[in-house]
Amino acid sequence: MDRELLVEIGCEEIPAGWLPGLTVQLARHLDARLKEVRLTSSARAESYSTPRRLTARVAKLAERQTDFEETVTGPPVGAAFEADGGPTPAAIGFAKKYGVDVTALERHETPKGAYLAYRVHHRGKATIDVLADVMGGLLRALTFPRQMRWDAHLEDGKGDLVFARPIRWLVLMYGGRVVPFVIRRSELAQGPNVQDIRSGSQTYGHRFLTTSGRAGRAIKIKTFEDYQARLLENFVILDRAERESRIRRELETHARRLGGRVSPSTSLRAGGLFIDQSSLLQEVPDLVEYPSVVAGHFPVEFLQLPEEVLTTTMMHYQHYFPVVDEEGKLKPAFLAVTNTEPEKPEIIARNAERVLIARLRDAQFFWDEDREATLESRIARLSTILFHKKLGSYREKADRVASLARWIAQAAFEQPEAVANDAERAGRLCKADLVTDMVRELTDLQGAMGGIYAREEGQPELVWKAIYFHYLPIGVEADAPPPRQQLGAAAVTWAAVSLADKLDSVVGMFIAGERPTGSRDPLGLRRQAQGAVKILTDLPELTGLHKRLRIGPLLARAAEPFGGYGDSSAPLVSFMADRLGYLLEQRGYDVRNVRAVLHGGIEGVSPLEARLKIEALAHMSGSEALLSVATLLKRVKNITKGVGDTRDWAAIQARLVEPAEQTLWSQVDARAPGIRDASARGDYREAFAGIAALQPAVMKFFDDVLVMTDDEPLRHARLALVAALRDVILAIADISEIVTES
Amino acid sequence: MTFQDLILKLSVFWASHGCLLQQPLDLEVGAGTSHPETLFRVLGPKPWSVAYVQPSRRPDDGRFGQNPNRLFKHHQYQVILKPSPDQVQQIYLESLEACGINPRQHDIRFEEDNWESPTLGAWGIGWQVMLDGLEITQFTYFQQVGGMDLAPISCEITYGLERIAMFLQRVDNVFDLEWGGGVKYGEVRLQEEVEQSKYAFGQMDMPAEAFARLHRDLFDQYYGFSERLLASGLIWPALEHCLKCSHLFNVLDSSGSIGVTERTAYILRVRQLAVGITRAYVGQSNPPSPGSGEASAKITESL
Repeated sequence: MDRELLVEIGCEEIPAGWLPGLTVQLARHLDARLKEVRLTSSARAESYSTPRRLTARVAKLAERQTDFEETVTGPPVGAAFEADGGPTPAAIGFAKKYGVDVTALERHETPKGAYLAYRVHHRGKATIDVLADVMGGLLRALTFPRQMRWDAHLEDGKGDLVFARPIRWLVLMYGGRVVPFVIRRSELAQGPNVQDIRSGSQTYGHRFLTTSGRAGRAIKIKTFEDYQARLLENFVILDRAERESRIRRELETHARRLGGRVSPSTSLRAGGLFIDQSSLLQEVPDLVEYPSVVAGHFPVEFLQLPEEVLTTTMMHYQHYFPVVDEEGKLKPAFLAVTNTEPEKPEIIARNAERVLIARLRDAQFFWDEDREATLESRIARLSTILFHKKLGSYREKADRVASLARWIAQAAFEQPEAVANDAERAGRLCKADLVTDMVRELTDLQGAMGGIYAREEGQPELVWKAIYFHYLPIGVEADAPPPRQQLGAAAVTWAAVSLADKLDSVVGMFIAGERPTGSRDPLGLRRQAQGAVKILTDLPELTGLHKRLRIGPLLARAAEPFGGYGDSSAPLVSFMADRLGYLLEQRGYDVRNVRAVLHGGIEGVSPLEARLKIEALAHMSGSEALLSVATLLKRVKNITKGVGDTRDWAAIQARLVEPAEQTLWSQVDARAPGIRDASARGDYREAFAGIAALQPAVMKFFDDVLVMTDDEPLRHARLALVAALRDVILAIADISEIVTES
Repeated sequence: MTFQDLILKLSVFWASHGCLLQQPLDLEVGAGTSHPETLFRVLGPKPWSVAYVQPSRRPDDGRFGQNPNRLFKHHQYQVILKPSPDQVQQIYLESLEACGINPRQHDIRFEEDNWESPTLGAWGIGWQVMLDGLEITQFTYFQQVGGMDLAPISCEITYGLERIAMFLQRVDNVFDLEWGGGVKYGEVRLQEEVEQSKYAFGQMDMPAEAFARLHRDLFDQYYGFSERLLASGLIWPALEHCLKCSHLFNVLDSSGSIGVTERTAYILRVRQLAVGITRAYVGQSNPPSPGSGEASAKITESL
């Protein structure tokens, strides 16, 4: 009979940010372990978590392992029997090992010849006898962003059992019975206060709340259903989704009572620059076992502070939700999600208010003090903050960014002198907020705070907004912030400064030898490179500029202040290509199409062009003609290896003899200019349509004509013809990639 | 509950839970962790439970007595439990109850916050304990000290005494706390805060260069002497002189006397010395043997 398996790993508080991932891991690893030991179930494992527990349940798990047969091969048949047909000692030995007679052995044919073989039948063990191994494997399989040692080990000879936080109890039950399992404590630690953890049928509820008995006492459980019900009685909501919806409901109710609603960050001027409400709402359910909301107020005078300062203080530092009125303006109130059902919510609210007000008072002080000095006057102090030991201080970085931003505005964006001046000034000032008290305290506000201070001291919009948003974009999605309407007139200066900052960091760090490897990217260079690539990719939407900028020249200019690339050029280029490929794949494009448009190295590729090409390719994805040309292009590439550019196009025609090759020549001759022209205009749909239109001629050519003829001049002419065809296509994309196995 | 009552309550509580009551280190340090009762005792296999107050100086946090929440010098109540008992969180929560904090009336949470001290080659895993949104305690399971893996694992509980007292007394300005017998915290400490802040930021009748030079000289002298002490096998005095270097570095830093590159170099020097001292301590008190050899053998650098 199938029975229920219930696992609960009782822990000290696990970091909130880890819980969603751990919940997924738990179910996945449990399923994998069960499969490994041949335990079948009608449904996959379900998993749950609260800060103090990781829970998994398999509703119906088989009572025994499935049986299985294994064929063990012995000596080759040739060496198994004597001339008289009797078994050799080798055959007898093999049979003896399995306790059978030689006659019970089978012949097993292999590519190497026939061997004696024995079929071993393994009878499945009772599930209850296997589950301890499953549990051990499960505990070993879970991985954490950061693990700790806590004087614990398993009896599997694999040493310390590291975990997220110390494990305090363990439920391991099958069909209502406890499966014995033990986590041992090291000899050094063991004593009256440090004991082995033995599996049991007891869980623990909320630390402080209970409906009966003493809070925090052990609760005996039988089944999962019973477990979930008993937890709820003891103020633990096991299901995260239930905790989240309870939080949402209570937030709305309280906000309404305050005459407002919970602030969605999009209504803020900052525009999703900070932790927004949705990500806070993602986090709080994993901080609590039994959420309830309390409302607090702060003195209205603090509303003079920039909204960014207020919301960051509330959301990021205190995990409080701001409340806004109908117009989206902040109210002097906040909502706190607590992990309790307070007897007197007002006590918690007053205390929360005191903490928040103390923080806001500090912020007020910084706001007043910081505005005493201009950003310009702070630049000198940037020399006390190190950017990188080989690349100098932030003072030097600011100088480089200023000069690069001017160059981008002027040379790459072809903007007038006035715009270039503003870009340069924004670049110079963009790091100055690092030496303001506000940013030293609220580091998340870097950039935004500089922008606000620039605005306060009367810098034009082109300057202050460029500073404000220069750390963005962070995401690679087409609609990743900042949105165009928020940038307004400053879109161009912003793009110049943001690009300059990111390119300077990426290029500089590569030159300094700080290249990301595998999962190691402590300086966040991938994100920075993606940000730069994203700007170039979406330049028209972000800035209104239709410039198809190539990455090569931008990188080269960014490398100038460092005296050039050194040996970083190749790795840098392939790094940027990876980032652009990542961006395109993130947007849902087929990896084969990505390879097609990125062929030939990224120096020559403009991210915007790549995007337009891949959009056109996706649009043409149903075109049989294009696919057919793509397939033939593969052959063309193979036979024209080493064949260079076609020099004398017109002369080829005279040497061609077959009608099919004459036709191909005239088709290429007629269509190539249109294809090139469409490509130059950025109309890649038309370009690809032109290529697809060559299909009948190309097809006929390969059907009728043998390129590799013995007639050497003719062979050269034919090769030159297909090489010309090749080059027309490759100048746009290597579409042979789109028909490869992905 | 007065400031001094709070200290008394915590002391009675932890003494009843088997802690030795130690006294503060009589030197200028930034945190209770620097006290040899923590730094040395967590090394090696010997069980040790201890509690003490540690006045802690953070020159950079000096605010001339004008900030209601920030101090050049604050007081930590430091508890070390080695090995860490299974019930450690529960015991900690009982200590709050002993101080008059009823957990049923408040929102008490353990939120992820790990600790790291580059100068001590030390790090640990833990939480900040939040009481109605106020951070009142740092809770850490030490993993490494002096770059050495620890076994058994110690738990360090560090209470912020001023914060908890402000919470209990419902005052918004630290200087309004009642220290004891009707005497305010400000009466005891305000003048000191003003003067120490001026010192920390170099606001005195001495040119900045001379101020910097003097502190660098002192640093170098103490550093060299600490090395001599260490070479002579005098580990405790060596640690004390190393801690003096650490404090001098903090003053150099807060007074803006050192640049960036130099700053990193100073941190590295202190770390080298501290790591050498903690290793010597392990070697001295636990000569390699099957029981304790493991801790000293598994030397891995955390930074």
